[in-house]
Amino acid sequence: MAEVRLTINGIEHTLETDPLRRLLDVLREDLKLTGVKEGCGEGECGACSVLKDGLLVNSCMVPVGTCEGARIITPEGLRETERGRAIRDAYGEAGAVQCGFCTPGMMMAAEALLERNPNPSEEEVREALAGNLCRCTGYDMIVEGVLTAAKRGKGLW
Amino acid sequence: MVESYRPEDLRQAMNIRAEKKVLPFAGGTDLMVRYRYESTAVPEYPAPVLFLNHLPELRHIRRIDRGLSIGAAVTLTECLEHEAVPEVLKEAVRTIAAPGIRNVATLAGNICNASPAGDSICVLYALDAGIKLTSPESERIMPISQFITGPGKTVLRQDELLTEIILPDFDESMHYFRKVGTRRANALSKLSITGCVRMNGELIEDIRIAVGAVAPTVVRSPELEKRMCGRKRDVLRAEMEDIFSRYGQLIQPIDDQRSTAVYRKKTALNLLRYFLFELVLKEE
Amino acid sequence: MKTRISTPIERVDAKEKAGGSARYLADMSFEGMLFAKTLRSAEARAEITGVDIPELPDGYFYIDARNIPAGGKNRIDMIKDDWPVFADREVRFAGETIGLLVGPDRKTLNRLRDKVKVEYRKREPALTIDEALALKGGAIHGEDNIYADYHLVKGDPDGAFSRAARIIDDRLDTGYQEHIYMEPQGVVAKPEEDGKLGIYFSGQCPFYIRHAVAGTLGVPEEDIRVQHVVTGGAFGGKEHYPDVISSPLAVAVRAIGRPIGCFFDRVEDICFTPKRHPSEILFRTALDESGRIIGMDIDVKINAGAYESCSMVVLQRAIFSVNSVYDIPNVRIRGRAVATNNVPSDAYRGFGAPQGLFAMEMHMSHIARDLQRDEKEFKTAYLIRKGGLTVTNGLIHEEVKLPEMLEKIDAMSGYSRKAEVFIPGKWRGIGLSLFNHGSGFTGNGEQDLIQGVVRMRKRVDGRVDLLVSNVEMGQGLQTTFRKIAAMILEIPVDKVVYNDPNTGLVPDSGPTCASRSIAIVGYLVQEAAKKLKTRWNESDIVEVSHQYETPDGISWDQETFQGDAYPSYGWGVNVVEVEVDPLTYEVTTRGIWAVHDVGVAIDDKIVEGQVDGGIIQALGYGYLEKLESKDGMYQQRTMADYVIPTSMDFPRIESALVENPYEFGPYGAKGAGELVFDGAAAAFADAVQMAVDRNMCRIPVTPEYIMEVRDNG
Repeated sequence: MAEVRLTINGIEHTLETDPLRRLLDVLREDLKLTGVKEGCGEGECGACSVLKDGLLVNSCMVPVGTCEGARIITPEGLRETERGRAIRDAYGEAGAVQCGFCTPGMMMAAEALLERNPNPSEEEVREALAGNLCRCTGYDMIVEGVLTAAKRGKGLW
Repeated sequence: MVESYRPEDLRQAMNIRAEKKVLPFAGGTDLMVRYRYESTAVPEYPAPVLFLNHLPELRHIRRIDRGLSIGAAVTLTECLEHEAVPEVLKEAVRTIAAPGIRNVATLAGNICNASPAGDSICVLYALDAGIKLTSPESERIMPISQFITGPGKTVLRQDELLTEIILPDFDESMHYFRKVGTRRANALSKLSITGCVRMNGELIEDIRIAVGAVAPTVVRSPELEKRMCGRKRDVLRAEMEDIFSRYGQLIQPIDDQRSTAVYRKKTALNLLRYFLFELVLKEE
Repeated sequence: MKTRISTPIERVDAKEKAGGSARYLADMSFEGMLFAKTLRSAEARAEITGVDIPELPDGYFYIDARNIPAGGKNRIDMIKDDWPVFADREVRFAGETIGLLVGPDRKTLNRLRDKVKVEYRKREPALTIDEALALKGGAIHGEDNIYADYHLVKGDPDGAFSRAARIIDDRLDTGYQEHIYMEPQGVVAKPEEDGKLGIYFSGQCPFYIRHAVAGTLGVPEEDIRVQHVVTGGAFGGKEHYPDVISSPLAVAVRAIGRPIGCFFDRVEDICFTPKRHPSEILFRTALDESGRIIGMDIDVKINAGAYESCSMVVLQRAIFSVNSVYDIPNVRIRGRAVATNNVPSDAYRGFGAPQGLFAMEMHMSHIARDLQRDEKEFKTAYLIRKGGLTVTNGLIHEEVKLPEMLEKIDAMSGYSRKAEVFIPGKWRGIGLSLFNHGSGFTGNGEQDLIQGVVRMRKRVDGRVDLLVSNVEMGQGLQTTFRKIAAMILEIPVDKVVYNDPNTGLVPDSGPTCASRSIAIVGYLVQEAAKKLKTRWNESDIVEVSHQYETPDGISWDQETFQGDAYPSYGWGVNVVEVEVDPLTYEVTTRGIWAVHDVGVAIDDKIVEGQVDGGIIQALGYGYLEKLESKDGMYQQRTMADYVIPTSMDFPRIESALVENPYEFGPYGAKGAGELVFDGAAAAFADAVQMAVDRNMCRIPVTPEYIMEVRDNG
């Protein structure tokens, strides 16, 4: 057991936990933040994506012990922001949500992309989403959703 | 519960490493997959974990005398974003996994994982990468081809940490990297090939060829490269079939769940032929 | 101005899902819940001679067949009841459930499970269709390892073959496919306050679970209450399998008296849940002197695995689909579902049709290539029309719009021009597939087995409860059902209340599968809404119901398989353009086009989303998703090794719909969910054929297979 201090969705936490626990489980079990999902547990599907110090990471591949001092944003945090709402609305309009299991991760990947590249091409969007798997939509409407968010969200990114 | 250590600096890390049996953990993306037990479970690490990716001494990319030094905790994304990292290495790194993994995984971790299918490793062989291994008492640098001895096997001693990767400068005329993966992105490698060459007019001054995932370790033949170095294109033309067929003898892939030996061999040879005959010899 | 039903609205569940507040099963908490881990057979075929359980700490339990209550049975009541709840004396596939370890801590359960010793007397497994038909190791099922053996005859095949100028033999194989719904399987069972057993699940068919669990426990169905939970994808993989998870779990809850949750790890899900049936389809086709097809003899075999489950129905759809959209005179078809010592094969989007349609499309393209005829011209000479005879000697009752659809897709894709310009074998190719899909259950299923009922209730405040057992699993039903009801009743969509079904609160309108939810149940919703409308001004609560009736003019004999197997069909055409790398044989898809007839779209965007998703899933089936089995165990077991398409693997899909309203569909709609999967694998393989100038005879068409075919001629 050890103490890990980190910020999650803007709130500071001091956790007393096994540093080798996956960040995914700490978020879901200890903090009841169930927006992140376990789709595979092996870093392939991206359903567990969060932002760690602004970078997109798979929370199933991050031990909480490496999050000392880190700033974590989860889907619950993103959806409270103007950017998050812009992405969410764009996804809704584009038809990008079917079963919804991949969608929170897709939202995180979209934010990670637009933060660095507010005007991506379709190719760049697809590259940015390559680590987020979807089985329902075939990706086209999700890509359209990201492009729409970029277009609509003038000044947000 | 398996122990874990988060040392404050490299010295402390090395001391822990020298004193106890620990598992060096940089990005950890290979380790967490290898030791994964089940959904919601902590991975089953075989030894206490030594976290390294926060250590400032390991997080540099800087120029050194006639080369580039990359710290062991530098992530793949950081390699992609640094202008001094050779383009051929970036091409390989771009094909590894996906953005979320690249933001965490390290080049050092890839090397220590020593997978025959490691795409960055294929390029690092071609670039004559040096591996620096450090312990409290010692420091040694060796070529990557000496560091990796077999699938998943390296000569890393129990008291050592891989602290730096050294890329000697290579002034290239042209490079070629191709990975054949199981799909277009986020893919494991069926095979990969790296070719780097420096020409002086019609003369081949320096040529390196490395083929990955077709043998227990990356295939690179200094002997065959020597046959090509210092030779002019039109002279080499007559010998190239023979050189090419000798590469064929070195390429001995296996069947596994990702691909077949037959496919890997033929495809590797197709790509090698393309590199040697079309790109280097400039045949039609 | 009247709004079209097809005009898209935002999905009612989109914002909740996108923001991460939708609660899937693993996101819910159940007070006092224990966990269950499944002890599974390590052998593909064996007798169990002993099970040695380590000493269990307090609060930990081992549950097996001995815990099945008196009056219950060790059989799961599904379409067939041969699948045991717990294997007790023998195991028939690697991964079969032997027992459950139950307790509060998952890590402890894992340790305990690792310590369990099962002793087997191994027997020789029959792992392929050939081995099973040769009765290797003795029969697994019955005397001949055949779950179902069907024969169809149309016209006079013997006569045709006696006149034949030429006979062409062909064989087409399709492989296993894993659903890879993004949310792994899970079920929670708990004793409810009123004494009933509550089951919470991710999946498709709440009443199937109720039926299966009641049978296992030997109790009335009303004692089991099944609650559907937001589901992260299913595609048929959660149609019957939740019964297989729920039945042992219910036994455990009965024995222990606490809530218990069973959540699958992804590797466990890939290794041990059912897959799409692999198929081997042989054609023997008779041509006359002019190269016209005068007869066909088709042999269909599907690898059904260790227990039958729904294999006989999959086989039925496979044989009913194996002439695709063509009216071939004089056809004989034989179909067999074969028992092997593999994980049982089960439902997956298309349900036998993708296999049959793939085989026929490829066979037609092979004949065209052999005769050096233009493929589209060759195929269109045989297109079935309204009034045409199907392979079950039934009729096509509707207008077949394929000619119009072919013209449309040609304009969209440039197919004809490219097919003429691309030189076969020069690494560029364009492929075409035509296909159809019967809406709803095969044959008499709707009328005699399901007899679906929907209820609708107007509350005093003007909101309307929609009471159906069909579920939202990503296909948009939460939105489309509301649209139908709202439009008939002329109320806003958000005034329709449609909760995740609970068997204690809704009638059985049937399972969510077979592309029936809109086509069949949507019509019941429409009719119920019409009834409710006539009573709208009543002041009190008004409740109406509507039950399924076979439409007039449809006749079917389930004994002889003669007549109209389906009341209506969806129709489709796909074009795929590819480029093959001559050095690596990797295939790059350059374009994908699709035109479908689903009657009328209840929501254009939702149908388009289904088209996109179905096609990408089918291109995975056709190119990427290799799933090999060795010694009864899958070799690709992780999401790294079982390869589904990413955002980078395929380009955008361009699609269109043609309207062709169906009288007995809601607003004219027909089924869509499976139709949109059925065609793309054949179009892809056909494109590769042109690119490398070789016949493709199986999927997935991997680079390894292309190399094999090109090198071995």
